[in-house]
Amino acid sequence: MKKFPKIDLKELEKEMELNRQQRLEFVRMYAEWLKKTPNKVWSSQQNRLLNKQ
Amino acid sequence: MELEFSKNKIIFEKELSFLDRLVFEFTGILDKQKIDYVIVSGYIAILFGRSRNTEDIDLFIEEMPLKKFLGFWKELYAQGFECLNTSDPKEAFNDYLKEKLAVRFALKENFEPNFELKFPKTDLNWYSLKNKLIAEINKKKINISKMELQIPFKLYLGSDKDIEDAIHLWELFKDRLNMELFNGFIKRLKVEEKTKLLEGKT
Repeated sequence: MKKFPKIDLKELEKEMELNRQQRLEFVRMYAEWLKKTPNKVWSSQQNRLLNKQ
Repeated sequence: MELEFSKNKIIFEKELSFLDRLVFEFTGILDKQKIDYVIVSGYIAILFGRSRNTEDIDLFIEEMPLKKFLGFWKELYAQGFECLNTSDPKEAFNDYLKEKLAVRFALKENFEPNFELKFPKTDLNWYSLKNKLIAEINKKKINISKMELQIPFKLYLGSDKDIEDAIHLWELFKDRLNMELFNGFIKRLKVEEKTKLLEGKT
C-alpha cells in the first residue's frame, strides 16, 4: 500500500475555486433571504449561530 | 429585513447578540467621553445579519490630547475593559496611538472579542471618520463607515471573508447607494475588476 495518496494540485485548485464560487453564491442567496425575512426572525437565528461559536 | 433610511442614518430593531451589546457598551463610553469614532470593520456586515462571528472590532477615533485619553482609559477600566497591549496608558498613547499603531481593549481577562483603536492616518481614514453613517438599533446609535466606502474597501482588502462581506452588504444596500460616490471609491481603490464578484460574474 502506498504511503500517500496521489495528489493532483491542479484538480485541487479547481475544487477550491468551485468551493469558493459556491460559497459566494450562498452569501448572495442568504442576503436575498435576509431581505424578505423579518428582523426578529433573522436576528434570532443569527444569535443562535453567534452563541455557538 | 426592515430598515428605515433617512439622511445618513439607518434605523432598525433586532434581537441583540452578545457582540452587539458589547459594541454598544464600548461606544457608549466613547460617547460619554465625547470622543468621535467610526466602526470600519467586518462588524458592520455582522450588524446587518451576516452569518459569521469576529474576534475584533476596528475603529478610528479622533486624535486627542493625552489628558482626554487618560479620562477615556479610566472610564474603560471602570467599566470592566482592559488594554491588551500595555497596562500603562501613557505608553498606549505615546508608543501606539501617536505612532499610528492600534491599541486593543477587551473585557478583563478576555482576549476576544477586542476593540482595535487607531488614530486616523490616511485621507481615507479621515474621510471615514468625518463622513460616517449612523446606525440606530433599538434606539441606540453607533457610528459606522458609509456603505459607499465600506464595500469598495472590503473588495480592496480582498480575502475570502472580505469579499463575502462586500457581497453581503452590496446585496442589502445596492439599491440605496450613492453610485457616484461608490464608483469613485471603486476607481480610486483600483478594484474595478473585483466589482464583477458583486454581481456574480466570475
